[in-house]
Amino acid sequence: MRAITFFTKLNILLQISSLLLPVTLLTGCWDRKELNDMAIITAAGIDKKTESTIELSVIVYIPKNAGVGEEMGGGNGGQGQQVLVRSAEGISIAEAISMLQQEFPRHLFWGHNEVFVIDEELARDEDLRPTIDFIMRHPQTRERSHIFISKQKVKNIFSLNPPLERDLAEVLRNLAGLKIGVDITLKDLAEMLIGESGTAALPYIDILSPPESQDKKQTIADIIGTAVLKNGKMIGSIDASTTRGLLWLRNEIELAVVTVKPDNTEGYVSMQLLRAYSRLIPKIENGKWKITMQAKTEDDLIQNGTTLNTGNPQTIHRLEQDLKADIDNKVKEALKQVQHEMNADIFGFAEAFHRAYPNVWKKYKQNWDDIFPTVEVTLETTAKIRRPGIVTEPGAYPEQEVKTE
Amino acid sequence: MKEPIQKPGTNPSSLSLQDSLSANLQTNEQFFQSVYHNCADVVYRHFSIAGKMKALLIYIEGMSNIEEMDKSVLSPLMQQTPAELENLHAIMEQSITVSSIKENKTFAEVAEQISTGNPVILVDQYSIAISVGLSKWEKRAIEEPLSESVVRGSREGFTETIAVNTSLLRRRIKSPQLKMISMNIGRQTQTKVIVAYMDGLADTTLVEEAKSRLQRIQIDGILESGYIEEFIEDHPYSPFPQILNTERPDVAAANLLEGRIVILVDGTPFVIIVPTSLYSLLQASEDYYQRFMIGTLIRWLRYGFLVMALLLPSGYVAVLTYHQEMVPTTLLLSFAKSRELIPFPALVEALIMEITFEALREAGIRLPKQVGSAVSIVGALVIGQAAVSAGLVSAPMVMVVAITGIASFTIPRYNAAIAIRMLRFPIMLLAGTLGLLGIMLGLIAIIVHLSTVRSFGLPYLSPMGPMRASEMKDVMFRAPWWALRKRPRLTGDYNQNRQPPGQKPDPSKGTE
Repeated sequence: MRAITFFTKLNILLQISSLLLPVTLLTGCWDRKELNDMAIITAAGIDKKTESTIELSVIVYIPKNAGVGEEMGGGNGGQGQQVLVRSAEGISIAEAISMLQQEFPRHLFWGHNEVFVIDEELARDEDLRPTIDFIMRHPQTRERSHIFISKQKVKNIFSLNPPLERDLAEVLRNLAGLKIGVDITLKDLAEMLIGESGTAALPYIDILSPPESQDKKQTIADIIGTAVLKNGKMIGSIDASTTRGLLWLRNEIELAVVTVKPDNTEGYVSMQLLRAYSRLIPKIENGKWKITMQAKTEDDLIQNGTTLNTGNPQTIHRLEQDLKADIDNKVKEALKQVQHEMNADIFGFAEAFHRAYPNVWKKYKQNWDDIFPTVEVTLETTAKIRRPGIVTEPGAYPEQEVKTE
Repeated sequence: MKEPIQKPGTNPSSLSLQDSLSANLQTNEQFFQSVYHNCADVVYRHFSIAGKMKALLIYIEGMSNIEEMDKSVLSPLMQQTPAELENLHAIMEQSITVSSIKENKTFAEVAEQISTGNPVILVDQYSIAISVGLSKWEKRAIEEPLSESVVRGSREGFTETIAVNTSLLRRRIKSPQLKMISMNIGRQTQTKVIVAYMDGLADTTLVEEAKSRLQRIQIDGILESGYIEEFIEDHPYSPFPQILNTERPDVAAANLLEGRIVILVDGTPFVIIVPTSLYSLLQASEDYYQRFMIGTLIRWLRYGFLVMALLLPSGYVAVLTYHQEMVPTTLLLSFAKSRELIPFPALVEALIMEITFEALREAGIRLPKQVGSAVSIVGALVIGQAAVSAGLVSAPMVMVVAITGIASFTIPRYNAAIAIRMLRFPIMLLAGTLGLLGIMLGLIAIIVHLSTVRSFGLPYLSPMGPMRASEMKDVMFRAPWWALRKRPRLTGDYNQNRQPPGQKPDPSKGTE
């Protein structure tokens, strides 16, 4: 056998690697995109333009104007606009995107589009489902992007210049994250629309009016309530306070300060939510469809504007009753508006019945629109105040004025 | 007893090194003159023992202790009284006041003694030569090992002198079980190589294998243990070192006690240790000297930074050119901001920076210490500050390169760090062409390769592959010494128990 010397072995190695090296290059880096060649979209929105066309607006990040890059040339000096807004018209969102691409010398990059805003006019007039289909189907768009319905034209909202945050996308994303209203991602929306009831609730936003003296554009959009969708179209909206009731029913409440006015005293007591939990218990009795909402909440007392002594367990008990009444009222208000006036099941009653009575549900599924308004809702709320804070008696009242009961 | 007188006047040119010494002093001298032809450092000194017997002293200048020679050999011999001149053995026994002397019979033996620095005395009428163990040359003192410094632990390092090195080991392990087998390798250099092992702890077949691999070496010279390493390793084409080297006697002793074999080579302070595994390359001696909790945490820090040293630049390149969706939005936007004016693609940028960094490191190592610091200043300015402000390189990339550099310094063994540094570049190319898929391909290839490597029969990934759960306490953790009851299993038979169980300190073990 011929001895394999170092060089013949090296030769073989070189031959193999010269064959393998082009393999890595064969892909041609087809998918390679440098950051410098991308226009990073942070938010997108659709307006109704004419009867048959829509207008797509996007917020695009401008890297060269962004602050703190002090080492780059240094010529930036004053802070330029960090984002730019461009719009394009089209029959569908897909067409609008291709028109929009013509306005950009860089590839549109949807991977970081965290916010979708839909104009109320469009939402009321047109079925949103084709648009959702596009967004879900597109490989780059995020299914976790937050979706909003806007009272104003999206173009106007996007032209705002938020004084605190980087751009409007960040404002809306953070607002959604605070869970003040419903927080719906694209995936949630798609699930709701194909769900049992075909309804959806989306956060409803409007421009927050800036103080008189300030620039009209120096403001943000904020969540003013909830838009209610049925069969892909918006059918109405509820305000922020009623939205609290909706959140209770959906077990989505996370952040709340409740202020109540106890009887027989002047002033108010505020409580901050610590933990909250609710669940829906469906029941069909003698052909009557019923839902019981069991809710539990634990709160901290954070402000006592009355002369009540919160060191007294009876006082605490009274306050707990007031807290419970406040929650019940909000839930009832939400039920009144959404269940009875709009007949849109955004509470998840349909799913609850489906789970509890799958066979009955199959039979009555078609008639849900008729059944839903008649569903009888019972509220079983329990409220507890866990901590009255480190002062028992009202902080700033003389002792003789404190009611001892 | 008197040596038989041989026929004088044998022609020295017909003699070879293997022949026995002649009884004729002149013949012998002529022979050595011809062997050490043109060797100006060989000194011949004629003298006569007690003024009667002609004798010749041969030594190499600078390799022998001349003062001691004059005092203990030449002056007693030259002042001999004739009565004691009966035979050479008597003279040796009575007059030479040196502890180590040896009789040599062949020219080869004599030449070896001369080359080692032992002066040789040839006496007329005798066909033996007496070598005196008075070799002494200038040697470096025992110093702190520069390549493996510790906060806590011995500050002694091996030196270039093998006798000093063996004594350093022997001072740590006093048991006669510590065996040292000596051999000479290198046709010209005749370098002394010592195989040290613990009898009863080291697998005998392992010792035999090591010896036979060493004996197979045919080379003209061994100047560093690295020569030997390349001759005896199992996978010469692997980028990973399969043999541990150390400058520290305590590390060598610890490995001996685990049943490993230490190979000492004359002329270098680096001894080599076989067999070794990937994990022992990631362990520092100080892990065992500091308390076990920090030992464990530091190990995990090292494992984490090992991954970073290998993958951070390629991960950055892959994510930035293929998977921009994966980065949190705000982070991507700041990347975009810093990369906006950079003219190069991320891959090229990363390659430029990494290569520059490697060049700087190399320059810093080779230069004299005084200039070395200048290099690092220039380097920091050039690749840090200036490149960024000139808009050639983005600031995050400088950070990535810097973190990668620091990560590769956390690997305690320099030769293991080299492997990681080399592999970083192909993985970067893969990341630049195939994205994260490329990185995964590269990683799979590396892991497959690592699983095939063995070091003297020990799987390179052991004790992780093959999995030996009981040894995890010295890999995933550094268990306290009283819990490290068993030795790691290397190859073949081994002596399992290091110490008896139940030594955890506890108040109940006291006398009160």
